[in-house]
Amino acid sequence: MEALLNTGSTIDEGRLAKGGSKYTDDYTKECAVCWMCAEDFTSLGCPEKVAVISRDRKYSVALSTKVTEAMRSGQVFIPRSIWANVVVEPDTFSTGSPRYKGSPVFVEPTDDVILSAEELVTKMYMGGK
Amino acid sequence: MVYKNIICPVCGGSCDDVQVNLDKENGTIDVQNACKMGSAKFKEVVSSHRLLKPTIRENGKVKDVSWDEALEMAADILVNAKKPFFFLGSETACEAQEVGLHIAEYLGGLADSNATICHGPTVMGIQESGMVGATAGQAKNRADMIVYWGVNALESMPRHMSRYGVFPRGYWTKRGRFDRTMMTVDPRVTPTAAASDLHLQLNPNTDYELLSALFTILNGKEPHPSVEEITGIPISVMKQTVEMMKESNFVAIYVGLGVSSSYGKHRNIEIALNFVKEMNNYTKCNIGALRGHCNVAGFNQLASYLYGYPFGLDFTKGYPRYNPGETTCVDLLREKDVDAAFVMCADLMDHIPADSAQYLADIPMICLDIAPCPSTTAADVVLPGVIDAMECDGTFYRLDNVPVYFEPFTDSPFTETKSNEDTLKQLFAKVKAKKEA
Repeated sequence: MEALLNTGSTIDEGRLAKGGSKYTDDYTKECAVCWMCAEDFTSLGCPEKVAVISRDRKYSVALSTKVTEAMRSGQVFIPRSIWANVVVEPDTFSTGSPRYKGSPVFVEPTDDVILSAEELVTKMYMGGK
Repeated sequence: MVYKNIICPVCGGSCDDVQVNLDKENGTIDVQNACKMGSAKFKEVVSSHRLLKPTIRENGKVKDVSWDEALEMAADILVNAKKPFFFLGSETACEAQEVGLHIAEYLGGLADSNATICHGPTVMGIQESGMVGATAGQAKNRADMIVYWGVNALESMPRHMSRYGVFPRGYWTKRGRFDRTMMTVDPRVTPTAAASDLHLQLNPNTDYELLSALFTILNGKEPHPSVEEITGIPISVMKQTVEMMKESNFVAIYVGLGVSSSYGKHRNIEIALNFVKEMNNYTKCNIGALRGHCNVAGFNQLASYLYGYPFGLDFTKGYPRYNPGETTCVDLLREKDVDAAFVMCADLMDHIPADSAQYLADIPMICLDIAPCPSTTAADVVLPGVIDAMECDGTFYRLDNVPVYFEPFTDSPFTETKSNEDTLKQLFAKVKAKKEA
């Protein structure tokens, strides 16, 4: 499924980030989540987890799903965090700010493991170091 | 002991009414009046995961070192780099950011802050159009219509609505919420949108089109019918919105990253600012950015005052240059245009896209922070941070660019440093000694 990605604050994401708890399970449960509407969730086959893939298909991140009436069809939301930023469009349109709102992404069901923030840094960004 | 009127160092709201009861003997802290985020941050003073020892990465392994050894290695990294990059984060005072800017200038490097990945496009829009602004107090006392455009205030600045925006009883808004109309423009049904009198649920990336249509209506013209399909908002609702604004005595608009970070970027802000200027032909109307990161406004003020540009400063030619898209953090890292990084008081690794984060992890990095996070994990040198407004004094700029001086209620936990400003001064001395040796 093609979708437009929106990222942003949630109160518990803020509470955990500001409280220095980025390496806790609570943070992963709050932020490694893809919000979508029931219609899109059904069309994907009601998956427990999805892979959100960047437009150029270079990066992919596994997330759990959350069905909510806050979203419209064709739009997904990930709380602002390291997971969301894996697939955020890096082009800044000569402003310095990437497209945290409205990045085109692909969403597919997956069985991949959801990485913690620490695992994501070490495996994806530090080459397993 | 109980301390009152403490400034909160979490978001740009700079709440100044926090009450803290710190029991140093038992290592406990009780926090009153702060929001969920603020309360969590105050608990960092006594938290078990606080970074208390400097570390360095040697042959792939992280080890504790003395303060002096860590500063030596940090200075070596910066002095040996051809193009060092300084990310002077917003969770510290202007005083620390100032020293960081001076080190960047001295070494001929580049300096940036959270401003660039937050409201950088907003600042660029202001450079294009100028801004009709007001302090938060003006909005509190006068505004009878509040507009949150592209911002979920309840979750990004949780006390904004209760302290400045919607609920407080002001001089001309004595009944608080009952004297105000609240509108939210957001593609998502956020808690802020749910609490509003009117929610314009526009399609993503159509802020510019919606603002253009409102501008057209304000000028007495009919917008093109296609704008309904593009934005998802009926023209009748757009007309109602403009009328509501014109009939209000004072309209306060707060914009968030929904405007500045979606398609259109600074042009969205530019047209919003022009709309506000035009609206002042009918009623009082002002606009401001809801700045999420603590002292993010302070960096803009400081950098503009010292070097003439608000962010994305390039000192490589010996004088300050500013070219967003070239000299800004995400672009520099994505294009692999710097060869070492100093990251202070911001988890940069967490906030930037994968291409940039991967390169940041590749180059030598020094990180100054208070708790374990992706940036400290990838860093080659970690310097423990002092918590501003709790353990040292200094200056923040609030979301409305009002400077706020803060005083601590406890001391720095380190004998080696009193504040992040102090740490940076020590680092600068070592950098100078090595460079001039």
